[in-house]
Amino acid sequence: MATGEPYFRHSLKVNDYLCQGCTTCMRSCPTEAIRIRNGKAIISDNKCVDCGECMQVCPHKAIYIKQDDFGRLFNYRYRVCLVPTTFIGQFEEKYNTKAIYSCIQKLGFTHIYEVEHEMSRMIQLYNMYMDDHPEITTFISPYCPAVTRLIQVRFPSLVDNVIHVRAPLELASRVITKRLMDEGASRPSIGVFYVTPCAAKIAAVKYPVSGKETYVSGVINMDFLYNKVLLMLHDSDKNAQPINHALTSRDVLWSLSGGEAPHFKGAHYAVDGLKNVLDFLEKLEDDAVDAPGLVEMRMCDQGCVGGVLSINNRFVARKRLEYRARLFERLERSKLREPVPDDKTLTQEMIDVMTIPEIKPRSIFKLNDNFAEAFRMAERMKKIEKALPGVNCSACGAPSCAALAEDIVRGDAGIDTCIFINRHSRASEDAIRSIWGDRVKTKEINKDNKENNGNDSQGNH
Amino acid sequence: MHYTFNIERGNFTDAGQASSSVKRTLKQLGVDPANIKRTVVALFEAEINAVAHAYGGTIDVDIDGEKIVMVVADQGPGIPNLDLAMQEGWSTASAKVREMGYGAGMGLPNIKKNSDELKIDTEVGVGTTVTMTVYLT
Repeated sequence: MATGEPYFRHSLKVNDYLCQGCTTCMRSCPTEAIRIRNGKAIISDNKCVDCGECMQVCPHKAIYIKQDDFGRLFNYRYRVCLVPTTFIGQFEEKYNTKAIYSCIQKLGFTHIYEVEHEMSRMIQLYNMYMDDHPEITTFISPYCPAVTRLIQVRFPSLVDNVIHVRAPLELASRVITKRLMDEGASRPSIGVFYVTPCAAKIAAVKYPVSGKETYVSGVINMDFLYNKVLLMLHDSDKNAQPINHALTSRDVLWSLSGGEAPHFKGAHYAVDGLKNVLDFLEKLEDDAVDAPGLVEMRMCDQGCVGGVLSINNRFVARKRLEYRARLFERLERSKLREPVPDDKTLTQEMIDVMTIPEIKPRSIFKLNDNFAEAFRMAERMKKIEKALPGVNCSACGAPSCAALAEDIVRGDAGIDTCIFINRHSRASEDAIRSIWGDRVKTKEINKDNKENNGNDSQGNH
Repeated sequence: MHYTFNIERGNFTDAGQASSSVKRTLKQLGVDPANIKRTVVALFEAEINAVAHAYGGTIDVDIDGEKIVMVVADQGPGIPNLDLAMQEGWSTASAKVREMGYGAGMGLPNIKKNSDELKIDTEVGVGTTVTMTVYLT
């Protein structure tokens, strides 16, 4: 790790003790960032976008998200819990918001702040970027950090379509820090802890695309906080309030798929789920989809309620947030709730904190910086791909035959790791042939036959 | 590097395989994203033209150290008036094709805009061969 770099680039880690090397994660990774080595999954730092798909599919719970030590909380005099509305969605209806917040307070937080409170300022920031770039037809919301990273590594031509604005939690943490400082607190005495529904948001805080300073002091995994709160809920005194003014019905729905784009002028699209996101970006890159306006993308199905650290079923969680939004809407309409007196002005300082000068493309496909060398490698890769069986069995430790071909030309694997090419005995030969037929090359069989001299024992591997 | 693909008449849903695979290779070579986009758009338009108008055909792609040459050759009705077809908005596409969201008359003009060299050989009743070249560096 280079000096000055944060202590990790990614939040997803493999527990070697639990990992069985079963290849499930490797096959589901959208950037082919995982390989099996020594029987365990390893994640490549350069390719991983922290989408959490591997963790979601792992049958052995061997992939986990590294979180900050909860004890660090008490290093600060002012301890702010930055909560997304998704957290409320995790609980059954019978537990009301105040009860949940009072448990958070009892855990040691002095203040609670709801992230979505900053949405009206976020809308202004998005609009500024869109107005500044009339040459761009389709804008992509920067809300989901996994999407931004996916675009950097797989769709580098689309980096400028992403609105160059940081995540709302960065603005929320800055607003609350400033407010406490105005009330007399010193900056080092304020600790702001964000409750995350996914891996990508941790990575975005720890290793920001913007390269800018963060006001977030630490991150707490949503499932961890959920367990702690649920244990206490039955004897809660039900009176805690967040210090921000009431959220609007719009704010409550923001993190859900479809909760963001409708608030912008022009056409809007809500794309959620890994497969849909990949498909949409692929088409957008080819100019094969006509989508003028704002596209909001959430790597998780249904949006943040589908995050890998969510506990409740995503549809049930979504429903709870929708009920909450409807209640707020009724209160707003019947004037039972006063219009929010909050200051929603966007200061130049906020704009400076929130804008990202450049989102750098870092293509994972490029074989070499030198065109001639890349050309030679691509040619060789094409030949190797033809020689491989194309069944994508993953026995070589790569997710597909194409990925193995790439590993080979990059010098990360040898062709003999393919069990179709490097066969050992007549018995294994016959077994493979009975399953895969013609993909077994005759030339190889003859060679093997000579070496094995008719011996069909199975135990000589 | 050479690639060959087949074109099937009326199969819009499966079109785009050639451009996807070309795109992947160009990304591996580290070609500038703007050039990748031009290549992919030109190739996709030419493929769609053949799918919409011809009875079938082939796509041949050659990539060398400096350029990509894409030849889309079809057996089809040919283009009776090439000058007219090169005008934006001119289209002979059927209602079915328009329903699919194509046929706006931007095909050939778009190909011209996105390729560095464009050659069209066409004979009425025989077919059309579109040769597009994009310089990569």
